[in-house]
Amino acid sequence: MSSEFTRFCPAAEVPPGGRKHAKIDGTWVLVCNASDRLFAVSGICSHQEKPLFTGRVRHCKITCPVHGARFDLETGEALDLPATRPIPVYPVRVVDDWIEVCLGQAE
Amino acid sequence: MSEQLSAEATQARPGEARCPGEPSTQEIIARDRVPAPDWVRSESYEFLGDEDISKDRYITPDFAALEYEKLWTCTWQFACREEHIPEEGDYYVYDLGYHSFIVTRVAGGAIKAYYNACLHRGTKLKPSGTEGYTTEFKCPFHGWSWHLDGSLKQSVCDWDFPHVKASEFSLPQVRVETAGGCVFINMDQDAPSLDEYLGPEFLEHLHAWGLEDRYVYCHVAKVIPANWKLTMEAFMEAYHVIETHPQVAVSNADANSQYDTYGEHVNRFISSLGVLSPHLKGQYTEQDILDQFTLGDASVLGEVDRTLKEGESARQRMADTLRQMFEQGTNTDLSKVSDAELLDCFSYTVFPNTFLFAGISLPMIYRFRPVRGDHRKCLYEVLFLRPVPVDGARPEPAEVIRLDEGQSFTEAEGMDPGFGVILDQDTENLLLQQEGLEASAKPGITLGNYQEIRVRHFEQAVDRYVSS
Repeated sequence: MSSEFTRFCPAAEVPPGGRKHAKIDGTWVLVCNASDRLFAVSGICSHQEKPLFTGRVRHCKITCPVHGARFDLETGEALDLPATRPIPVYPVRVVDDWIEVCLGQAE
Repeated sequence: MSEQLSAEATQARPGEARCPGEPSTQEIIARDRVPAPDWVRSESYEFLGDEDISKDRYITPDFAALEYEKLWTCTWQFACREEHIPEEGDYYVYDLGYHSFIVTRVAGGAIKAYYNACLHRGTKLKPSGTEGYTTEFKCPFHGWSWHLDGSLKQSVCDWDFPHVKASEFSLPQVRVETAGGCVFINMDQDAPSLDEYLGPEFLEHLHAWGLEDRYVYCHVAKVIPANWKLTMEAFMEAYHVIETHPQVAVSNADANSQYDTYGEHVNRFISSLGVLSPHLKGQYTEQDILDQFTLGDASVLGEVDRTLKEGESARQRMADTLRQMFEQGTNTDLSKVSDAELLDCFSYTVFPNTFLFAGISLPMIYRFRPVRGDHRKCLYEVLFLRPVPVDGARPEPAEVIRLDEGQSFTEAEGMDPGFGVILDQDTENLLLQQEGLEASAKPGITLGNYQEIRVRHFEQAVDRYVSS
């Protein structure tokens, strides 16, 4: 997979406390603006492949709205059952007022 | 003070004796510059007997089983703060031993609580110890789901379940009521209302505190190797301060603290700070008292001038300083708050497992829950509350910091180190007490008539429930 950054959306579309999900090359990506920084993670829960899009974000963690698993937005680590596997997290940056995400360097 | 029983103590009627030759809590508070409100300036002590308390309640799994059957199923329990579930669809899982409930905010702002189990084959709908937001409660096993209001949304392959009627498959509920920004649940559909349970006198106190206008800024949880009641009782009196917390005794009126009981479910102590312990009379100056003053929320103090002027009392200086520093540090208006509320420890037990603290410098909620399957362990939580800033949005409640059994409370981020040491000292003796009771030749514990009245009052409530 490419190590290049891909334009995701204008930065203004993800204000503090906001989030946006979209597909990049067929992969659902969720970008969250939490605690004064941007996070880009997989938009799909590692537990049973449900969308994380509307999950509550608090303290830089996201909770799956379907079954309640919680993940660290920075590392992708699964913090609560029922998930035991991490979700991919992606490098994210802002260039020329655009949010850019790099899928090739998922950790 | 002499270790012998004083003549005065032996001559008074049981429960009437007080620390000899020392001002009462009410007399200490009456000297303050900013006077205390009525809920502070009242007393409600009652002698409740002097028999030993049987120790089986702490050391036998049979007693724990009785509690699960008769006590936890019939009492109002603090499940979460309203701020944990501010929006429709927010939920918080409250667990109590084998019990588990989903507390959730539904349309219109009401709060409901459901038994946390799928009605198909029983899987928990949300994991224990979690919180979040959802649009439905969906079982992760086969996908049956329920609306936020508890009604059945979907039973997968309903052609195979002609015997399942949606009208009979709503999630069973427990009762929910709120007080002081706290959400309480009760499994007993026939229990008295929360107001009736708490009683009119305590409700008057609670309403005066405005706990609903505070937010959780630090939340720490730790498993303690002792029975939940034993652990709670470590916090019910100031009698232990001189031995357990010698660093605090210099600025704590411990032996002359005040103890009160209210109805069947609430009791309290008021323990004045900025005042020398009667145990240490003549050994320290007012300057020493000021120098050794310890706070629960000292982080807001910053650099404080701690040099007393001639004739100035440590207590008044601390009250004046705290008022100024807390107002600046937390962006709140404390101009009408009394010196006693700023300084002193107001510790209330709300039966069965919660402590509410009314003051500004010690602004906590404690919660104690038995660990499932082990009557010798409990989960102890400390929630520090701060007033919501006067000109800003309510901050999100803090994430829970879970300490390992071997960790110090001082390791929790946001915990004042001095207060962390106090909590360490409070809990370090508990394994010794648990094991000591198991090893003891004596069938019960012996309590002081006044300073340990909260323990007796609490255990009498336990007895009422388990023998009902």
